Amino acid sequence: MSTWQWAVVEHAARRITAADRPEGGPGSVVPTSDEVDVAGFVDGWVARMPERVRRDLGRFLAYLEHVAPVGAGHLTRFTRLPADAQDRVLASLEASSQPLLRAGFEGLKSLAFIGYYRDARTWSIVGYDGPLVGRPEGGWR
Amino acid sequence: LKRLTRGSEIPGDLTLEVDAVVVGTGAGGSIALRELARAGLDAVALEMGPYSTSADFDQREDRMIPRLFQEAGGRATADMAIRVLQGRGVGGSTVHNTNLCKRIPDPILSLWAGKYGVVGAGPEDLAPAFAAIEQDLTVTEIDAGARNANNDVLRRGCEALGWRGAPLRHNRVGCQRSGFCELGCAYDAKQNALKVVLPQATEAGARVFSDVRVMRIEHDGARVLGVHGVAVDVQGVPVASVDVRARVVVLASSAVGSAALAHASSIPDPYGQLGRNLRMHPGAVVAGRFDARIEGWRGIPQSYECTEHLSHDEGSDRRVWIVPAFAHPIGAASMLPGFGADHMAAMRTYPNIAVLTAMVHDETRGRVTAGDDGRPVLAYEMSEQDRVQLAKGLVASARLLLAAGAKQVTIPAVPPLRVTSARELDAIDLAVLRPHSVPLTAVHPMGTMRMGEDPKASVVRSTGEHHQLRGLFVVDGSLFPTSIGVPPQLGIYAMSLHLAPRVVERARAG
Repeated sequence: MSTWQWAVVEHAARRITAADRPEGGPGSVVPTSDEVDVAGFVDGWVARMPERVRRDLGRFLAYLEHVAPVGAGHLTRFTRLPADAQDRVLASLEASSQPLLRAGFEGLKSLAFIGYYRDARTWSIVGYDGPLVGRPEGGWR
Repeated sequence: LKRLTRGSEIPGDLTLEVDAVVVGTGAGGSIALRELARAGLDAVALEMGPYSTSADFDQREDRMIPRLFQEAGGRATADMAIRVLQGRGVGGSTVHNTNLCKRIPDPILSLWAGKYGVVGAGPEDLAPAFAAIEQDLTVTEIDAGARNANNDVLRRGCEALGWRGAPLRHNRVGCQRSGFCELGCAYDAKQNALKVVLPQATEAGARVFSDVRVMRIEHDGARVLGVHGVAVDVQGVPVASVDVRARVVVLASSAVGSAALAHASSIPDPYGQLGRNLRMHPGAVVAGRFDARIEGWRGIPQSYECTEHLSHDEGSDRRVWIVPAFAHPIGAASMLPGFGADHMAAMRTYPNIAVLTAMVHDETRGRVTAGDDGRPVLAYEMSEQDRVQLAKGLVASARLLLAAGAKQVTIPAVPPLRVTSARELDAIDLAVLRPHSVPLTAVHPMGTMRMGEDPKASVVRSTGEHHQLRGLFVVDGSLFPTSIGVPPQLGIYAMSLHLAPRVVERARAG
């Protein structure tokens, strides 16, 4: 991904994986998307995709950065909006009347969650004890 | 696997001359390869994905999904309404599937004979092939003691409502009930193409090349000449061209891959049938939250079915098959509606959630073509009749979960529908349950090169050989003239075995 695409994914991933409890943050029980490097993971994942998938994702990220905020009433690009406004932009895409925008949001959401819940530090949040193969003594942490 | 060559092991451009080349190594391809080799013919199989062993299956979603699924699990219909999960790699989809073994229902086979002009593939014709495959794969019923809590929810729901339900049959031996079937079996318990059939094929002399993507079927307009492909290394970088000259080319890359390859190869299609009639068996999930812990990620994923709403009669208004469909955290997170704090709060109930899926025995006719890069393009717009079936199936799944004791049921539509009683369920406007509103997944594409005797209405003959192109055979789900309404792996294995004598005969005769 390009630098700006990386930034859009990074900002979106922070909101998509936002914690439900105030303890979220560095060193807390709930790791942030930055701590588990969701954007870096998405970058590697997308690199393995066919060209047309990379192109579609690039178009969607451009829409999210520049157009979707306007539709949600903001004249600022997505990455410069405060968190609550970013949430509103993402929610507008999730509920969009345009099927392709909804599909684009679902795709981005899936990538963010793959990047987030791949990390063993997130598994205790959902009560999952992780793979049996390679499980460390004392369980995954 | 003996006589296996990985793409990275091919030293330079490769040209082979053999009796038959098989494209794809899943259920259909593995059987065709084995039968060709057992007949004493020189046969090779080309597989676009990698070769994996049980040691590679580390039960990690983030690593196994891109390894085992086409387009890293991101394949979808052109309108992005339906995610299409298909296998890649030696063994094809038999590596990641959940081992469901159901025969093609007799009414479907009779329909094919009566309406679609399929000759010699009726229930009695196919019975020996089914019996042989079930023996090869050690197909047995999953007993109640091996049923996990998610599947027991479905059983309880069926019994509470008086609906038809039954245990399912699987091809697994030595199962550790780890629950990671969809990520490949780390314990070699799956009796599939990778574990059983391909070793038999190579033992009989067949060769398998992994990491080779076939780009084109070579032909002169009347008969096949072979195939042209490209071998890639572990990074996917092309390392060599692969040309195989053969009297017989067997397509076994699925109803998506085979049709796309045929399109990309400009094979004769005088009646415009190629790639049409795509059926997908699409489905969507419903989640129920229980007071008790379900921990649906543990144990055998799909061991019980509800067939109350499933009839295989054409045009029936009961065309929904309901089975459990639990996922590991990444899959569950993608499935649950919403994002952010509310989503994480919902994910905290993960151990208490049971999930069912309603899959539509579809009558929609989609189409597979090839894009400029030769990759498949899937057009599929669900018909209103099928949409109604989907909506009925989702409501029926919700009813089953409530009957089994769920405190809240979520249909992950946009916006999500949450109900706590059957009365609330009755009030749902079924019109909102439609593609794009409900996330859909399809894992059973069928029908794009269907069989039949009429070349104006089918692509291949009842023997599996192409109507116009001598020596081109199809042995995967592309053959099926309609959806079969159940998982197709056993049907594909059996149909390939049933057609194998014709393939062998042609490979011998030239």
